[in-house]
This record gives sequence, structure tokens and C-alpha cells, in this order.
Amino acid sequence: MKVQTRIRWWPWAAVALSLVVAFTLSMISPRDDVQGELVRIMYIHVPAAWLAYVAFFMTFVGSLTYLLTKNLRWDRIAAASAEIGVFFTGLTLVLGMIWGKSTWGVWWTWDARLTLTAIMFFVYLGYLALRRTTDDPVARASRASVLGVLGAVQIPIVHFSVVWWRTLHQPPSIVRPDSPAIQEPLMLITLIVGVVAFTIIYISLMIKRIELTHLEDQLTEIEHSTDQPVAGEAVVVPELGARP
Amino acid sequence: MTEWGWVAFAYGVAYGSFFLYAGSIALRINRARQSIERSE
Repeated sequence: MKVQTRIRWWPWAAVALSLVVAFTLSMISPRDDVQGELVRIMYIHVPAAWLAYVAFFMTFVGSLTYLLTKNLRWDRIAAASAEIGVFFTGLTLVLGMIWGKSTWGVWWTWDARLTLTAIMFFVYLGYLALRRTTDDPVARASRASVLGVLGAVQIPIVHFSVVWWRTLHQPPSIVRPDSPAIQEPLMLITLIVGVVAFTIIYISLMIKRIELTHLEDQLTEIEHSTDQPVAGEAVVVPELGARP
Repeated sequence: MTEWGWVAFAYGVAYGSFFLYAGSIALRINRARQSIERSE
């Protein structure tokens, strides 16, 4: 079978460039009066959390569209986005723990935002595990899409948990009912550039991850095609009447 | 640890994770391509 996808290098270049720009701006941004240099952790923690939402929202869109159209292309988009979302959520949790230890003095506390983010992380890990329960692409897509749609309920709950409940975690930095919490222009610009850079990284990773899903589906198709040996090359049909 | 130490730790974890994850995708793509080409 011919490999139908061609090698694209530009997504990797976009990832590298975005990381360099975000890093440079994060380092030249001013220190905070209260948090000092530790405020720089915000420029990677907040974009990572934001992209986790975006990724899981795309999983919701892909899953819902698959259920409506039964087109496997949408399931591939949902699956690719879920894996990247799990990556960004894991990164958010770890960076949050580092920031928490350096500012609050503890690695973890059972705060509403932290706990709900951890639950979201495990729900989408479950989504990825569910996808591995069968090789049948249609059954896999149907099962995963239901969880992909239901799981999206968590996104607004996690985001507004700091508004709805009294928490140790600070309120949203940008998307909040009143004006943004950051008043210093260069800090706000740095944070917005960080979000844009991480969005470019997300798009680039999506392109490569969808390419991988496409190749894996081709491979599964080859492995399950009728002209392949059933039990491997080592097993041969015994010749009738032959003496051992 | 100093404030800059915590910042360096956080950025090391974040950027290291990006390189590891991007590398794992690239590796899996190459492996899948090779498997498909072998079965041709």
C-alpha cells in the first residue's frame, strides 16, 4: 500500500519559533510587585491551561460531528485533540504544582480548581484508554464520541470554578466577568503572546498527530486485510500425507 | 530555592515536555511509515 501522506516539516519549525518568541518575551517582561520573578511561571501555566480547554473543545466538536455524520475524519480530529489536551492538562497541573510550591508553600491542595482539573485529566485519559479497547474503527469512534461529547461539560465547570466557589487558586487572568486582572500592559501582552504561541503549537501538533492517526489507520487496515497471513509467516499449512 | 531557580525549573519542565512529546509524535510517524512500507 502506498503511504498517502507526505512529510511536512513546517509544523516543527512553527513549534520551535513559537517557543523561542514566547520564552524571549517572558524573560524581558517586568517582575511583579507581589510575586517577584515567579510571575513568569504564569506565562506558561495560563496558556497551557487555555490550550487544554481549546483541545477538549475540539474533541467535543469532532465527536459531535462524527455522531451526526459518521465520517471517521472527525473522529481522527477528536482523538488527536484529546491526546494533545491530555498533554496540556498534565503540563498545567505540573506547572501549577511548581507555582503553588513556590508561592503557597505546598505542592498540592484539594482546592476546587485543582481537583476539578485533575478529574478532567483522568476523564480524558479514560477517553484515550477507551479508544484502545478495540481495533474496529467504527466501534471505537462511536464509543469514544459519546465520552468526547459528555466530557466537554467539565470545561466551563473547571474554568468558572474559581468564580463559583471560594478557592485558594486565583480568579481567571483574562476571561472573567469584569476587566482582566493584569493591569501592566507588557505583562498582559506577554501573556497574550504566550497564548498565541501555544495556539500555534497546538495547531502544529494537531497536524502531525492527525497525520499519525491516518498512518495508524492505514496500518490497521493492512494488518486486517484478507491477503495477510492469519498466524504470521512462521506458521505454514501442513502438507497432507507427509511423514514428520 | 531562589525565585529564578523556580522559574528555571518550571520552564525546563515545560520546554522539556514539548520536545519529548513532539519527538514522540515524530518517532511514531516514522515507525508507522516504515511498517507500511515494509508491508508493501
